[in-house]
Amino acid sequence: MNLFRSEEHVARWLGARVPGATTTVSKLSELAHAWWDDRLAPDWLPHTREQNQAILDRLGLTGPFWQLA
Amino acid sequence: MDEADLDLRRRTYAAFVELGRAPAAEELGSREDVDAGWRRLHNAHALVLNPATDELRMLNPFSAVPSAYRVHAGGRWWYANCAWDAFGVCAALHADGRIETSCADCGEPILIEVREQAPDDTSLLFHVAVPVAHWWDDIVFT
Repeated sequence: MNLFRSEEHVARWLGARVPGATTTVSKLSELAHAWWDDRLAPDWLPHTREQNQAILDRLGLTGPFWQLA
Repeated sequence: MDEADLDLRRRTYAAFVELGRAPAAEELGSREDVDAGWRRLHNAHALVLNPATDELRMLNPFSAVPSAYRVHAGGRWWYANCAWDAFGVCAALHADGRIETSCADCGEPILIEVREQAPDDTSLLFHVAVPVAHWWDDIVFT
């Protein structure tokens, strides 16, 4: 899970490897805040698969790559 | 994950944030009990142990060991496990922050100020190589 300066840098870093998924850093920040916001809450409970999938879906991170097991 | 393990997890995270480092098992209780609890939490993906030492490796989004992602938030420097977790440190602390890392391709420094949950430099890109369903196959690699 890395940051890059541009698509050109992503492509050069990947080389011949199969690409994963690329998003904007703004989308990453939205995702991180939705995913980790409750991590230090005293009443924290593990997210269910459905809760986490709902976060991804709500942010438009859909398709087979973003499907939880 | 029963109530005792949830409580151990809560105390582990609280100690990490208070100390700014991973607590040793003995700081939270009897070493035998804490090690066994941490092992159950590791198996439940609630934290990650170093396979060689059984010490804490990740309290996601925090890294218990130095990494390429440094985050200043809540008045202290932290290490995150990856780009996602770097933003996650700000999210978990409910704080603005500053992320210091580098482009994985060229090594050029990347500095991001996070204000009200948004990065100041929106031109950057995030790439994740492993499909979500396989993240926990090898969480350190992911």
